Amino acid sequence: MDTLHGRSERLVILGVAESDAHAVANHLIAMQLREHGFTVVNLGVCTPLADFADALDRHPRAEAVLIGSLNGHAHQDLRALPELRAAGRLRRPVVLGGNLSVGSRTTDADLQRLRDLGVDHILPDAGGLVLLLDMLDAAAREPEPQHG
Amino acid sequence: MADLHGLEISARTAAALPDWDDTVAYLASRPLPAVEVLRAADAAARPVVQPRCGVGGHGEMLGLLRELESAGPGILSVTIDSHTRLLRFDTASALLRRRPADLNGYPLVTHGWQRGRELTEAVAVPLEVRHGSPDGRDLFAVALAAGITSYEGGGIGYNLPYSKDVPLAHSLRAWQQVDALCGTLAASGVVVDRELFGTLTAVLVPPSTSLAVAVLEAVAAAREGVRCLSVAYPQGGEPHQDIAALRAVRSLAARYLDPAVEVFPVLHEFMGVFPRTPEYAGLLILQGGLLARLGGAAKVVSKTVQEAYGIPDAAANAAGVRTAALGTSDLLDFVRYDESRVAEEQHWIEREVAELVDPVLADGDLFAAVETAFAEGRLDIPFSASVHARSRVVPRRDRDGAIRYADSGSLPFSRAVLRRNAALLRDPEGARPRSLIDAATADIHYFLDKESRLPLRAPYGANSDTPPRY
Ligand code: B12
Repeated sequence: MDTLHGRSERLVILGVAESDAHAVANHLIAMQLREHGFTVVNLGVCTPLADFADALDRHPRAEAVLIGSLNGHAHQDLRALPELRAAGRLRRPVVLGGNLSVGSRTTDADLQRLRDLGVDHILPDAGGLVLLLDMLDAAAREPEPQHG
Repeated sequence: MADLHGLEISARTAAALPDWDDTVAYLASRPLPAVEVLRAADAAARPVVQPRCGVGGHGEMLGLLRELESAGPGILSVTIDSHTRLLRFDTASALLRRRPADLNGYPLVTHGWQRGRELTEAVAVPLEVRHGSPDGRDLFAVALAAGITSYEGGGIGYNLPYSKDVPLAHSLRAWQQVDALCGTLAASGVVVDRELFGTLTAVLVPPSTSLAVAVLEAVAAAREGVRCLSVAYPQGGEPHQDIAALRAVRSLAARYLDPAVEVFPVLHEFMGVFPRTPEYAGLLILQGGLLARLGGAAKVVSKTVQEAYGIPDAAANAAGVRTAALGTSDLLDFVRYDESRVAEEQHWIEREVAELVDPVLADGDLFAAVETAFAEGRLDIPFSASVHARSRVVPRRDRDGAIRYADSGSLPFSRAVLRRNAALLRDPEGARPRSLIDAATADIHYFLDKESRLPLRAPYGANSDTPPRY
């Protein structure tokens, strides 16, 4: 595991899904986030979901868990998400990006299947990542709405 | 663990296999082994075309092979799914039962050798198993029993790009056993073609890095008795450099290998971020065929116009085979290029390879030397998936698109080599300074940029409609 230290307090966990060895976007996203001041805990390729959960336990101040999946196996590789969440783990926004189904067309049904597992945000490419993280950060800082 | 003539495989895989004598007899009875196709292509000085192809379901795979055969390939592939590659045979088999279409390749170990033989017998051309397993021993045993006469991979090239944390010592020993079994088979007259995956991480791989890894794996394979090696080099994008690299395969083989080993240069059509319009993607596929012929390759592995989007359908894959074959055809035999530029490139590629591999080969213990060299960065690859390479090298394209070392990390290059790489990468006067990430991203998206400057149709229905950008 490789931790790139950024300038600010902001920290994210990054990695590639369990059966997936595509590394290029992972290297570049880690560099890009670091340029934006994040500390990146980069778990690298072929990372089982449980390893993401363990990393979050070790770094509880992480803002989000960023998972790439390029090889089409996103659904199978993330199947443990409901189970982990039910056990109180991975309680952070899970952001998924890449090439999310087998074949040349990813349908809405494919994406819905992933949301049903509990994936919070799906991004087609990494360009919008910092913006999304800023929005999530702002939302997390907002005071809880008062009821009654 | 079970032992198949020195190949250590799991007891479960072993229990399902036929007798070894049956496997050898079946392999020997194959009417057209891969090595013969390669010899014929080499003699004719025109490469054969091979597509990658693999789907989860058995019936679907049979259909796919039959449909692709009609496009005229010289060899067909059985591309294996990612779970099987990483030895997760149980996951592959669960998914095969639940949703076979969710598999990104054919799970051969799960389907078993009998179905493998059905694949072999379904088409007249030989099959190759293409995978990406750091430890491909179980898969190899099943592939042999299925009558498959060509097997891709090696202890470095199928480790560093394909897994996170498999020590090189482990993968090198696993592949040593594969090679040794090929040696045993060769002694009884069965020649298995072993293709070495010089493509590595596919994105901006400097030619000398690709070829250095191939030389080390080739030397290791030859020592175990392998008699037929296909050395694959990935099309980088600058034609003179690509032709030079393919030619260097033969000169390097002459320098480092016993002449009894047959060596065939193979071109992997552009393996990086692929253009998105069918027109430009098609042109690149055609150009790959042409470059393969000009570089003297015996085989070219084709791409498809759906590469940028996902695993191609059969029609697009068949069209890719045909387009690549057109690139090798005599209609383009008039094409000439700057011979002296190619010769110069080839000289420097060979020199860089020698500077990388000679110190490693000088060591008495090849595997230990390879492992320490990667640990110390004296061997390295860009964008490694594995923690066992440092990835301190930073490749860049020069003004013509050729791939050079912008930072060679701890590679043991001479001053002359370093000077040349630096000189070729010097920015023109007044160029806008860019961050390293911006520069790398632009180089990775090289063909997308070229494509966007042409008046082409917008890409068709896609995973995302705009090319990915940072
Ligand atoms: C290079 C490459 C390889 C190299 C990878 C080397 C390495 N270790 O990194 C090699 C040759 C080894 C390889 C192997 C395989 N590959 Co591949 N590969 C590619 C290729 C050509 C480029 C990928 C790349 O590096 N792009 C550059 C980076 C910068 O872009 P990117 O990865 O697309 O990432 C962008 C977005 O996806 C997104 N993104 C990515 N990750 C994340 C993460 C987050 C959190 C977010 C928000 C966004 C995000 O943002 C990025 C920038 O915008 C693509 C096809 C293409 N695009 O042209 C196929 C491709 C991704 N590969 C594919 C496949 C299937 C495989 C294999 C499984 C083999 C097979 N069966 O065909 C194996 C992998 C084995 C495994 N265990 O996973 C398929 C996926 C198919 C699908 N989903 O239907 C593709 C699309 C090719 C194809 N058409 O079949 N591959």
